[in-house]
Amino acid sequence: MTKYLRGNYTVNVTIEEPAPGAADSTEAFERKALSRLGGSICFVSKKGFLWKGDGADGSGTTDRQPA
Amino acid sequence: MVPMDLGRRIASQLSEATFERIAPLALANAEQNRPRIRRSILELAGRRFGEGDAAIVVAAGPSLHRRRSLERLRAAAFRGTLVAVDGALGACLRAGIVPHLVVTADPHAERIVRWFGDPALTTPSVDDYFRRQEMDPAHARDEIGANRTLVELVDRHGPQLTVAIATSASPAVVARCEAAGMTLHWWNPMFDDHDRPDSVSRRLHRDNGLPCLNGGGNVGTAAWVVTHAVLELRRIGLLGMDFSYPPGTPLTGTQYYPELRELLGDRFAEGYISLSNPFLGETWFTDPAYYWFRDVFLEMAQDTDSETVNCTEGGILHGERVPMVALDDFLAKVARP
Repeated sequence: MTKYLRGNYTVNVTIEEPAPGAADSTEAFERKALSRLGGSICFVSKKGFLWKGDGADGSGTTDRQPA
Repeated sequence: MVPMDLGRRIASQLSEATFERIAPLALANAEQNRPRIRRSILELAGRRFGEGDAAIVVAAGPSLHRRRSLERLRAAAFRGTLVAVDGALGACLRAGIVPHLVVTADPHAERIVRWFGDPALTTPSVDDYFRRQEMDPAHARDEIGANRTLVELVDRHGPQLTVAIATSASPAVVARCEAAGMTLHWWNPMFDDHDRPDSVSRRLHRDNGLPCLNGGGNVGTAAWVVTHAVLELRRIGLLGMDFSYPPGTPLTGTQYYPELRELLGDRFAEGYISLSNPFLGETWFTDPAYYWFRDVFLEMAQDTDSETVNCTEGGILHGERVPMVALDDFLAKVARP
């Protein structure tokens, strides 16, 4: 048990600490899972629906010819 | 030990993971597609394909077939705008519905062209995706026959179809759409925060001049964004937007089954998440990716002034800004001026 959780009382249950490396293996598993799962297109939070450019170069206008 | 809330924890990290997983292929496709770009999606801004300000966005979830949504839509003679995702195009055409706009974005090199009918497919694919997936059961029943029918339908209706196509789309999809006579309007997926100086989105926009559209993780959400943010339609009904699986669906028939099985082994079922559907009083289940799509959609719905209702009559997508409404009720409401 981490020293920050030690108190001046006695508990009636036996607290089992996680086996060394358990957290690491869970994290490793999640990293592997994340590399295989996900969407077909990105999502960017709080950035609106449509970004047309800053406009200074005309890129934000509808009449600009795409490349 | 695999925790019980594993699915939700994975889902919460999928924004970054999606970028890492798909950006290389999506950007390679964008580079390859660049010489094919003729029209921007901004040319569709405010265009009225149908009557009035109402639209229906057709996604490819299992409720589309369970609820016979397309047959009912056709019978109701809906006169508003119809926007379909690529995976729902076949079901629409088979039901006698030609969508005004088709949206496609997935960069996958081989799979997505099948949603448009692949003329090169003559024997069942080694990839079992289309036999296993829940989105269009016609492909699961008869992979070759369904593809042949779809090739004929798309060839016949191609010149009537407008496609909102992401620069990330596979060049095979671009070639198929062009060969069928479709009109393509292009957009960039928003990959990251364009305000950052090293932003991928910014670099892509500088290179091809196209706007960046926040796709919300999947083509269904991207189609909804196109409908309200580009077409500027104000009353939107969703069909086939399940983001989940009906009770009783075999786990082998879910989108991410192979990945979850490989990663979790015999405990793969712990990667799924159960949620209630108040419209049907059923418990549906979903996987981490679909759960993330749902969360993202509900977050995005907070920022639109369009009215969106979910007429899927199934699935897990519901919230204060996305109420579940019966399709017939939505159709009756939008039929009124």
